[in-house]
Amino acid sequence: MIKDKMKNMNEEEKRRYRLERLYKILPVISIFLLILLWSTVAAKSDFPSPKETCDRLMLLFENPIKGKNIFGHTAESLIRISIALLFNWTFGIAFGILIGWNKKAKALFTPLFNGFRAVPPLAWIPLITIWFGTGEFSKIMIVIFGSLASVVVNTQAGMLNVDQLYIDVGTSFNANERQKLFQIAIPSALDAIFAGIRTSTSAAWMVVLAAEMLGSESGVGFLIVRGMDAMDMPLVLAAMIVIGLVGALLAIITQYLERLMCPWTRVESN
Amino acid sequence: MDKSRVKLKVDNISQSYVVGDEVLDAILNVSFDVYDNEFLVILGPGNCGKTVLLNVIGGLEKPTGGKLYLDGEEIVGSDKRISMVFQELALMPWKTVMENVEFGLQIEGVDKKTRREIAQKYIDLVQLTGFEKSYPSQLSGGMKQRVGIARAYTSNPEILLMDEPFGQLDAQTRYSMQEEIQKIWQQEKRTILFVTNNIEEAIYLGDRIILMSKSPGKIKEIYDIDLPRPRNSMDPEFLAIRKEVSENTDLAL
Ligand SMILES: Nc1ncnc2c1ncn2[C@@H]1O[C@H](COP(=O)(O)OP(=O)(O)OP(=O)(O)O)[C@@H](O)[C@H]1O
Ligand SMILES: [Mg+2]
Repeated sequence: MIKDKMKNMNEEEKRRYRLERLYKILPVISIFLLILLWSTVAAKSDFPSPKETCDRLMLLFENPIKGKNIFGHTAESLIRISIALLFNWTFGIAFGILIGWNKKAKALFTPLFNGFRAVPPLAWIPLITIWFGTGEFSKIMIVIFGSLASVVVNTQAGMLNVDQLYIDVGTSFNANERQKLFQIAIPSALDAIFAGIRTSTSAAWMVVLAAEMLGSESGVGFLIVRGMDAMDMPLVLAAMIVIGLVGALLAIITQYLERLMCPWTRVESN
Repeated sequence: MDKSRVKLKVDNISQSYVVGDEVLDAILNVSFDVYDNEFLVILGPGNCGKTVLLNVIGGLEKPTGGKLYLDGEEIVGSDKRISMVFQELALMPWKTVMENVEFGLQIEGVDKKTRREIAQKYIDLVQLTGFEKSYPSQLSGGMKQRVGIARAYTSNPEILLMDEPFGQLDAQTRYSMQEEIQKIWQQEKRTILFVTNNIEEAIYLGDRIILMSKSPGKIKEIYDIDLPRPRNSMDPEFLAIRKEVSENTDLAL
């Protein structure tokens, strides 16, 4: 009986092991297939091949556009979102905590905030451009407007969902309001706050491209538009790939940051 | 137990809630004395208001009627001298075992070194040594319950309120935790108010048992249990008390 069971378990384990391995290999296969498909299509049309795209990227090092190679332009875009995100994380989290924790502030600000949030970020661009021109400041403003809502919404949700039970623990130890806020409510909302940080990062990356496409002298968004204007398809493709890679990298970094700051969530998922 | 010294006086406590447009009496005119260093068990069927009673004593809820006296003085709201072990554990998932246990001292503003030392003492007492850095999600049900107990002890209360602390444990773990809570109580003499809906557990642990009727919760009977400790649930006297209490207990709704 027992032997049978063990044999079964071993089978089960073997099966699981094989599946695990398959799950690791499949993504590699799919990327390989994509490149294969791309090369085939490119060979039969005037669509640039992977090699041409790669060469175009390299050419940027010899022949910079507006004095910058690909790293230079990526850095420009990253600086823009960094400033905007730093602002949003500071004020957005603080505001989210306020309207999630304080009933009066919630009643007062929620309608205004919901109104603000209902307008898609890109719709702000014309207004910001009229107000602030097309300079660096207005690009950062666009990114701020485009990624503020997700920080506030997630933070507020986290603060509204603080389990009464934990607050009761605080009460039973005679914690004052400040201690309940800083030692119970905010820590318990931390994973929601991080969800906000993650979504705001990807939103900022999206919006900065839009801002750069609409008139700029630098950044990956500018590169892609420059490629389009010059009918330089390899450049467009190269910029797209870089944008994708940086976006993925940002997601990984924020996720890593979350694990670092919220070690207990890592434990749970294990 | 020192019957000459009343530690806590529960005087005519009632608690009602407005649910929809009806008033629901959760507990009605509950009065009893708790003696110093006593292990007092509150026994009652589900939904009879045991948690409500403990919440009122712990200062988490303001009663609609009645008063509480600790050492002869009236208390209102939560009091530092009363600590709680929650029915739903209420361990903070973002804190390690150590951080959970030291929480009360941290709130009091005790410096880190001192509070770690005190917390360690109680972590050792509940036999969780080595798990200080674990998170609650990594612990078994019994271990989590121990963390809750250690947390309540660490703030050095005079009265501990325990709300069905072993309710969610399997039978085996439950027995060993019962033994253990008794040992801890004998080592670290405190007054304990222990809520349960399990008759055997009540007789095994209690100096006295307060039997509550089903809702609205009222006191039905108070039993003195004079059996020597540790008690044996197969003992004829134990069984006799069990029969008596059992026949007097209302069935849960
Ligand atoms: N905040 C509240 N609002 C409305 N009704 C409540 C509230 N708290 C408790 N009650 C009601 O009071 C009654 C007693 O609840 P309580 O939780 O004290 O029961 P209990 O004896 O602890 O039950 P159990 O053994 O299941 O834990 C229940 O009918 C419950 O619905
Ligand atoms: Mg209860």
